[in-house]
Amino acid sequence: MHNCNDTRERFTELVLDGDPRAEKLLDQCEECRAEFESLAATLRMTARLRETVTPTEAYWTGYHAQLRSKLEQFHAKAQRLRHAKAQREELKPGLGFVFASLRKPLRLCVKTFLLPVPVPLSVAVLAIVLLFFAVRAPQQPTPLPQAPVIVQVPVEVPVVQEKVVTEVVYRDRWRIAKPSRRLVSGRTTESTLARSQKPQPEDMLSGFKPTDEVKLTVIKGGSPNEK
Amino acid sequence: MIVSESDSDLVRRAQAEDLDAFCLLAERYARRIYLLASHYCRNSQDAEDLSQEVWLKAYQALPSFRFESSFYTWLRRITINAFLNHRRSSFFRRHGQTTAVQLVPIDSEAPETFHPYSPENIYNKLLFENVVSALAELTPSQRLSFLLRHYEGMSYDEIASAMNCSTGTVKKGVSRAIGKLRARLSPEPEEPETLEFSNAQL
Repeated sequence: MHNCNDTRERFTELVLDGDPRAEKLLDQCEECRAEFESLAATLRMTARLRETVTPTEAYWTGYHAQLRSKLEQFHAKAQRLRHAKAQREELKPGLGFVFASLRKPLRLCVKTFLLPVPVPLSVAVLAIVLLFFAVRAPQQPTPLPQAPVIVQVPVEVPVVQEKVVTEVVYRDRWRIAKPSRRLVSGRTTESTLARSQKPQPEDMLSGFKPTDEVKLTVIKGGSPNEK
Repeated sequence: MIVSESDSDLVRRAQAEDLDAFCLLAERYARRIYLLASHYCRNSQDAEDLSQEVWLKAYQALPSFRFESSFYTWLRRITINAFLNHRRSSFFRRHGQTTAVQLVPIDSEAPETFHPYSPENIYNKLLFENVVSALAELTPSQRLSFLLRHYEGMSYDEIASAMNCSTGTVKKGVSRAIGKLRARLSPEPEEPETLEFSNAQL
């Protein structure tokens, strides 16, 4: 029994392969035939494009000349690389140890930074850098004498602290006056009262202003037992 | 009498670094590769670059050719890989896509009889532009599957193996590609001309 969906699913293969069984299938349904014809027409159109369209002969002459030029360049480059590889093989016994020791760290380096740098190139770059520093090192001026190094060392410095000592000295009220050293030394003594009663020179009172109030301060007692 | 060398002989010579032999091989198959590339790329300059890159890759890989298949089968595999790699690297120009192919019938022996503005050639040119723009609407994998199936006559299994995907995926891709092309290229049904009048006019 004819099934349109099944038939149409097979259209692509039937059309592309040119399967003769297609006619049998299409005889049973006009809609499927129309669909099939439409699909076949599309493919004929694209096939015709391929068959009828091509660049001119002049184009192909230029195309092959350009291709040959590219191939020659490629061939020359390949030969150079092969020659360089052969030279490297000759140097291998002498420098084998150096290359072997450098290969692993360089590979690690390249893997770490994800740079597709070939080993010979990286070795060459490393050699150039080392050569640059080796050449540059003697050209550098003689180093200047080293500047004095300042070292900070904490030093403890003793600081004299003043200490105020307050002492109350009580003097005996009825103490007999003893001859002082001044008397002993023969100098005349003069009481405070007598000194105050002496006429003072006027210029010493200049700018003095007596106060309006008189302040009296009574000091009680003089002996230590007085309260 | 010139006896053309077989592909195998030319390949052997090319493997022995005979550049002329490789160029002879290129002259044999360059048109097929170029046409495939031109349908895939939609741009003649890209097609030229891509097809020449295919030949460079083939020359580079030639020492590894072991005569287990025909030279063209091996070359087609390289072509497909080159197409896929270029698709990944967004090689194709997205802007200013042009189709600058000069149309010449293959069977025209006398060039002086070729008239670029004859109705047939104008039709071919329009057809070419129409098909190329229709192919441009396909995805790259659909386009490649379709070209390999339709133009190269490869089986689904061969395409799947070359594109590194399943046969079902290839089948689906080809079917969708043909469906899209059909929708784009099939003539639209003519609509009956109708005159519309508004009620106010009547």
